[in-house]
Amino acid sequence: MEPLKVLVAGPVGAGKTALAKSLLGEEALTTEAKASEDLGKETTTVALDFGTLAVGPYRVHLFGVPGQERFDFMWDVLAEGALGLLFLVAGDRPHHLPEARRMLDYFLSRHPVPYLVGVTRLDLGRAWTPGEVALYLRLPEERVMGLDARKREEAFRALARLVELATGGE
Amino acid sequence: MTRQEEIQTLIRSLRQAVPEVSGVMVASADGLPMVHDFPEGEAARIAAMAATSLGLGKRIATTLRLGEFQETVIRGQNGYFVVYEAGEKGVLALALPTGANLGLVHLEAREAARHLKDLL
Ligand SMILES: Nc1nc2c(ncn2[C@@H]2O[C@H](COP(=O)(O)OP(=O)(O)OP(=O)(O)O)[C@@H](O)[C@H]2O)c(=O)[nH]1
Ligand SMILES: [Mg+2]
Repeated sequence: MEPLKVLVAGPVGAGKTALAKSLLGEEALTTEAKASEDLGKETTTVALDFGTLAVGPYRVHLFGVPGQERFDFMWDVLAEGALGLLFLVAGDRPHHLPEARRMLDYFLSRHPVPYLVGVTRLDLGRAWTPGEVALYLRLPEERVMGLDARKREEAFRALARLVELATGGE
Repeated sequence: MTRQEEIQTLIRSLRQAVPEVSGVMVASADGLPMVHDFPEGEAARIAAMAATSLGLGKRIATTLRLGEFQETVIRGQNGYFVVYEAGEKGVLALALPTGANLGLVHLEAREAARHLKDLL
């Protein structure tokens, strides 16, 4: 069976790299550099996250983008040929939502593929719920779900749901 | 001397040693320009690309067990873009025309990158 390419995108600190690591463990290919600005974390992605894993009968090739806009030249490079988009937003950073909206439009207009929005960091102070995020992004509620990107089962559940959407649930 | 000035001095001596250099970029490892002599309008993009190229180059070097990363060389029909690591916080990138003596460039640039590492 053809591998299924899935793109993981979303603003800085949404948990794209955390998700790649929890899904792939040691096998995760990441490209982190020390953050020179205060991002609320030590490192940031400068090129991509990558790894492959099985989801049901499918071999998923996971490509994560750098979230910072100055690396947007990587977005199309990585999105090429993707069959699904897992778009992450940090629930505790509602001020990133306008940018998330723009990014999501960017990806879906250039690469109209099935997508799922994952809202992370729901356990942190005053986080927006998936329902509120869906409302803000004007998306159907069933396309938005909460997850902790650090937890393998939760990351996997989100990915599996996207794979289902991308493969027509066959 | 401020750090900025020290880096500028370093860039000047690198340019003296390698006069054919058409652009020098010192950026943070996460892609923000620090000191450079590229046109202002191009600097942000070049700094980000240098950081991407370094991050990817280092990753490929470890994945393929090539040993310690030395540099990434992009060669086009009209010239080169070469990216060196300057400690864990910095990146040094040079633009060069076709026909540049890469052997000499590497020697000088690696030396400059070592100095930069201490400055950053
Ligand atoms: N408390 C909590 N932390 C989370 C959750 N999901 C992710 N994180 C943390 O949030 C941070 C996300 O950082 P990254 O994974 O580097 O974010 P990214 O999207 O890859 O960011 P860039 O590569 O810089 O664009 C990490 O420190 C994760 O451990 C969650 O559900 N709860
Ligand atoms: Mg990342």
